[in-house]
Amino acid sequence: MLTTSRIVLLPLAAAAVCLPVQATTYLSVEQAQQLLFGDQALTPVPLTLSAENVATIERESGTHYYAGATRAWKADNGMLFIDAVIGKHDLITYALAVTNEGKVRQVEILEYREAYGGEVRGNGFRKQFVGRSHADPVQIGQDIQNISGATLSCQHVTDGIRRLLALYELAFAGK
Amino acid sequence: MSDDKKTLRHLALTASALLLAAGAQAADPPAPVTEQQLEEQVTLMQQQLEAMKAQLQQLKQQNEALAAQQQQIAAQTQVAAAAAPSGGISPNLNLWGYGEIYYTDPLHDQRLAEFDLARAVFGIGYRLDDRTSFNSEFEVEHAVASAVDKGEFEVEQFYIDHQANDWAGIKAGLFLMPFGLLNEHHEPTAFYGVQRNFVETLIIPSTWREGGVGIHGSSPIGLGWDVGVTTGLDLAGWNNSPENPQYRTALDLEDNDVAPMQATHQELALADAQHLSQYLSLNYSSVPGVLVGGAVFTGNLALPVVPAHLPDERLTLWETHARWTPGAADFSAVYARGTISDTAKYNLDNTGVANPLPSKFLGYYFQGAYTLWQQGSYRFAPFTRWEHYDMGAAYAGIAPGFTTVPPGLAADGKPWPQPRDRVWTAGASFFLNPHLVFKADYQDFAVNSDFSRFDLGLGLSY
Repeated sequence: MLTTSRIVLLPLAAAAVCLPVQATTYLSVEQAQQLLFGDQALTPVPLTLSAENVATIERESGTHYYAGATRAWKADNGMLFIDAVIGKHDLITYALAVTNEGKVRQVEILEYREAYGGEVRGNGFRKQFVGRSHADPVQIGQDIQNISGATLSCQHVTDGIRRLLALYELAFAGK
Repeated sequence: MSDDKKTLRHLALTASALLLAAGAQAADPPAPVTEQQLEEQVTLMQQQLEAMKAQLQQLKQQNEALAAQQQQIAAQTQVAAAAAPSGGISPNLNLWGYGEIYYTDPLHDQRLAEFDLARAVFGIGYRLDDRTSFNSEFEVEHAVASAVDKGEFEVEQFYIDHQANDWAGIKAGLFLMPFGLLNEHHEPTAFYGVQRNFVETLIIPSTWREGGVGIHGSSPIGLGWDVGVTTGLDLAGWNNSPENPQYRTALDLEDNDVAPMQATHQELALADAQHLSQYLSLNYSSVPGVLVGGAVFTGNLALPVVPAHLPDERLTLWETHARWTPGAADFSAVYARGTISDTAKYNLDNTGVANPLPSKFLGYYFQGAYTLWQQGSYRFAPFTRWEHYDMGAAYAGIAPGFTTVPPGLAADGKPWPQPRDRVWTAGASFFLNPHLVFKADYQDFAVNSDFSRFDLGLGLSY
């Protein structure tokens, strides 16, 4: 039999579960397309990169480029990329909307699977990327601040976005 | 006749008239063209136009089909590539690990210098479905775990986590308690200093886990929360009458489970299920680079059968923490305070022992680090930390004339150590890459001054 220890925090749990919280955190690809580009028809863009292209992206972004995880679509007013990076142990899928000038318009987290580090989904972290382009550092500790407790997730999403901006610059800028 | 036909006829007539006029100047007058011939020509042209329109329509359809096919192939290729297994065994399986090796040199007595493979940990996770995962961590402390060695083999985490909806998940099993800055992020690459800080070892236990159920989530406004019911602490773990000091070095202090909660937590090893505790943790991280949070844990202690008739003793721990990482700098602070109610009877029943049960324990630290140099994946960051811990900040039920620490010398001829200290730490971390760090530090103890030491460390996590 349990003791009659005063369990006072459980009602708080119930209250917390009932808190009205924005529920736009997890998105399907279609929902991300709709959120970032409305009803525009998006044209999938096959990414066929040569070894030389990959080397350029890696040099420009200072990260490894694993071909295959990135998907791209062209819209009238920019491009949409959906990509995946490893957070701590598991994949984070995120979407990046870029303007025709190559500047970040919006970042959304589609899927986050790990028990820790989910703060990377917060608006505060994601909106730091808005307006940044390949010309910016896009580096943790420089123009992007990380979130304590979500260090690896922040680091890897930032690396991913820097890589996509390098890809945009190489393959799509001015074309 | 339709309007189109009329227009075409007029155009044809006009064109013919112009041609005729031009031809009249250039050559002999041509044979006269009758209106009937013109109409036949217009009809012919119209037929040709219709045929061309049909051909164009057909080409357009073919083009669209080809484009769709190409897009479909491209999308399929990309989806297949994105879904490709990341590991060699199963895409649902995750393997990870971390470990740390210390060299620690108590400067007052270098005979006590030690090398230690302090922790070797491997983690296994499995994604059971889209919303449910299993995580576990297994740890070997001090390299060898056997009946005659000091080392331990421990299950550090073993729980399932189900994402109930977009903003709340439920976890159940043995999981890390969401307290302080270190407990949930205890890999050596995540903290400064060769060893973990004393506040988050002696006041908040480390690595602190309990068995139970928790609900947790984080919202887009930057508020993370975690609340649940878990196993609590068992007073049977408290050694109130050691014949000799339980620690003689700073490393002993961390390793020998001498602090109030470190000694009494149960780690889900045949844990008492009659006395459950509860916890609530909140963290706010809306502003990038800034984290503030706090947590509270409370529950009755499981009490030993002998002595009987002890009143219920409630242990409550609360802490608050903050971290600010502006650019290359990294500032953090933690304050933690624990109380145990109704300890007087227990202590009166055990009058004169060397280690009475405290009614209050607390600690706090301030730490600053700075990334002085960074190139590629190399990073060099010196740091300093000041901390105060007090494992016996208050006692109840100490009979008059008795002390909480034995006076005089212990059997080894040295005074008994004090359960409190002020520690300065200065050192540096050199990251070869984010997974591998070399560390060095010096720690100065103000009260137990012979604990002062120099440490070297190697830490890795993957």
